[in-house]
Amino acid sequence: MRRHRYLSLVVWLLVSSGIPTTSGYAQDADALRRELETLRRQLSTMTQAYEQRLNALSDRVQQLEAGQAPATQTLATAPPPKPLTPSAAPATTRSATPAAVPTPPPAAPASAPPVAVAALAPGAVAQAPAAQASEGPTLKEMLTPRQPFALSTPGRTLLFDIGVSGDFVADLTSARVERRQEGTFPGQENRFIPREVELSLFGRVDPYASAVVRISAGEESSTNAPASRDLNVNLDEANVTLLTPPLGTTARFGLMRPRFGTLNTVHQDDLPQVDRPDVLTQFFGPEEMDGESGLEAFWVLPLSNYNELSVGIFNGDNEVAFGRGSLRKPLVMGRWRTFFEFEEHGGLQLDFSAASGFTSDNQRNTLVGLGAKYKWAPSGSGFPVFTLAGEALAGFRNVSATDAGPSGARHLERWGAYLYGQYDLNRHWAAGLRGDWTELPTAPGREWAISPYVQFKPSEFLRFRVQYKHTEGTGSVERSVNEVLLQGTFILGAHPAERF
Amino acid sequence: MRTHGTSMLLARLLVLAALVGLGVADPTVAPAQERLRVLATLPDLWSITRALVGELGDVQVATRPGQNPHDLEIRPSQILLVKRAEILVRNGLEEDAWIDPVIESSGNPRLLRGSPSVVEAVRGLPVLKVRTGAVDRSLGDVHPSGNPHFTLDPGTAPVVTANIVAGLSRLRPDLAERLETNRRRFLDEVAAAAQRWTQTLAPYRGAPVVSYHDSWPYFYRAFGLEEVGIIEDRPGVPPSPQHLATLIRQMRERGVKVVLVESWYQTDTPTAVARAAGAQILVVPQSPGAMKGTDTYIGHLDALVTAMARALAQ
Repeated sequence: MRRHRYLSLVVWLLVSSGIPTTSGYAQDADALRRELETLRRQLSTMTQAYEQRLNALSDRVQQLEAGQAPATQTLATAPPPKPLTPSAAPATTRSATPAAVPTPPPAAPASAPPVAVAALAPGAVAQAPAAQASEGPTLKEMLTPRQPFALSTPGRTLLFDIGVSGDFVADLTSARVERRQEGTFPGQENRFIPREVELSLFGRVDPYASAVVRISAGEESSTNAPASRDLNVNLDEANVTLLTPPLGTTARFGLMRPRFGTLNTVHQDDLPQVDRPDVLTQFFGPEEMDGESGLEAFWVLPLSNYNELSVGIFNGDNEVAFGRGSLRKPLVMGRWRTFFEFEEHGGLQLDFSAASGFTSDNQRNTLVGLGAKYKWAPSGSGFPVFTLAGEALAGFRNVSATDAGPSGARHLERWGAYLYGQYDLNRHWAAGLRGDWTELPTAPGREWAISPYVQFKPSEFLRFRVQYKHTEGTGSVERSVNEVLLQGTFILGAHPAERF
Repeated sequence: MRTHGTSMLLARLLVLAALVGLGVADPTVAPAQERLRVLATLPDLWSITRALVGELGDVQVATRPGQNPHDLEIRPSQILLVKRAEILVRNGLEEDAWIDPVIESSGNPRLLRGSPSVVEAVRGLPVLKVRTGAVDRSLGDVHPSGNPHFTLDPGTAPVVTANIVAGLSRLRPDLAERLETNRRRFLDEVAAAAQRWTQTLAPYRGAPVVSYHDSWPYFYRAFGLEEVGIIEDRPGVPPSPQHLATLIRQMRERGVKVVLVESWYQTDTPTAVARAAGAQILVVPQSPGAMKGTDTYIGHLDALVTAMARALAQ
């Protein structure tokens, strides 16, 4: 390819400069013929010269590659320590391909020349192409597919983490349920749904704070106009955590998922099942209490076992539960969470939460939650894992006279709960069963559901689920629905460790 | 009288709240001259640090012995351990990166990365298997900064212990001399044991072995064993049949006798590979404390070396 480029260049130069010059002697055919022959000879000479040059460069590339291959397997960050007896043994490393037969490189002595050490460092490896830049790309470089995009290269470190998670679901059900929009994802029945693709940026702001920004896009369907399906982009979270307030307190401000209950801080793609439990979606909406702006502080109490207390003040923007959206009548919430470590017998987490705010028609709504999660895993392989978890939620809500309904009650007390058990056979396969029961927060009626599911994780970053869900509703949610929910999630890039 | 009693009660409650608020009841703000409160992220660092600290303090570990650090989930009890500690000993590579969100949730900023109260044991060590070129998840859950299991080579002990003692002494200069004395004694013990281990495995120098997970390059380097391949060629991802077939062929050609498996992995795949290649699996804990008598660094390596020698002898 390179050779053709040079030949083209030569021909173009000759055509653009030489031939017009010789055109002045066009009458003399012999002279032209001689000139042409001269040009052919020149071209042949130059071609041979370039071929020799190309061959020399190719040889040099091969020599360089042969010389660098073993050196790139280790990184010497400092002179090796004074060895004890075992380190004096010949070093055994492997090539980048795990199954390859290892070659024992010579152990670097403590007084190894700095050049040798530098040659082992990634930065030094990265310098090699730069040194050749003046000679143009090598054959190997031209043949190697280029990476389209790289945020961090050796010597250039990105100062925060980036992660992308994708969450795709499908809700398969009957035509009747689809027509009536009675499925778990109303208006999106019998469709593959890009529920949420989330870009997460997180890291340390300075020695005193860390921050997270999450932007998500997902399909939202209007139940009034089912044909209208928009891909909405939202700012889900943008908050700063202050790490060094006094008295061991940690504070967070900005847009966030507040610490309420067990699952509210869990994102859609990290839920234990495909869908959020019914009681949470009925009382708070499909994504529970997300996107609240405010301030939150939490404190791990100085007690013998784990006790965490958090309090927060927010706008109260959640339209289903609150909606007042003003600090003149803010949403105030708190959570107490404790944990008991039973060592070989697992761990138990309990949480008690309360949130009180005002609805858009200025009526007080108070919600109280009680959650429990028990998980057992044997020592050793850590599998199988058995998890039993549930959450109960009670709502105490005032309603205006116009919303009081036939009974005329201005104060509603409703509740609901879910409970699930999951058995992780190994790190790849798990199965579980969830039961839901809930009243409706304002309208008359109740519903229950049962959802067995199977989960497969080829790796930590990829997960598939199949969930069957049978729902029975009465009152204003009169329905009998059978659904098969499918889910595929992936994580690209950085992702924090899973929490209990 | 009743008013007075109520006032007294309120006053007592306020005093109690103030005491709690000021941290009197909080073990994290105890006087400086108390015993050292050290937290190690992983059992190998725990066993080494415990030998160095001795009677001078308490050393806790954030993971249970025998627990796979790759599948670790954050438990609230770890947050409590972090909150109580005054110094953290961490690996320094990605093996224990999960500790960062734990620290951020603990309200103990002294243990945040970069703080003087954080010791990175790897500093100054040559790291094996540093990935070069493009690194992405197609390679599995790799450690881009290199293999983090360096404590399996006793030859790294001088640097690792120097890092730990320097960190502890930075925090408690009054203990520096005693810590250094402990360090010298520990290194002498390790050196004596290392001589024994080298002699035990000397007949098998150059013996070809296969690992299930890439935990052992430092161990192999220390005792002159040759790693023919790794079953889990992409960490955290089940190996492909093609890879296993190639590996089995290589094992037959090289006469591999032993497949080394960490005790936290299931043994069905390595057993099948070993059987097909005419080898045997050797299941051992990768870190101290998982088996009786292996709580100490030397005890753990004693068990590893003995088991390996026995397996290679068969």
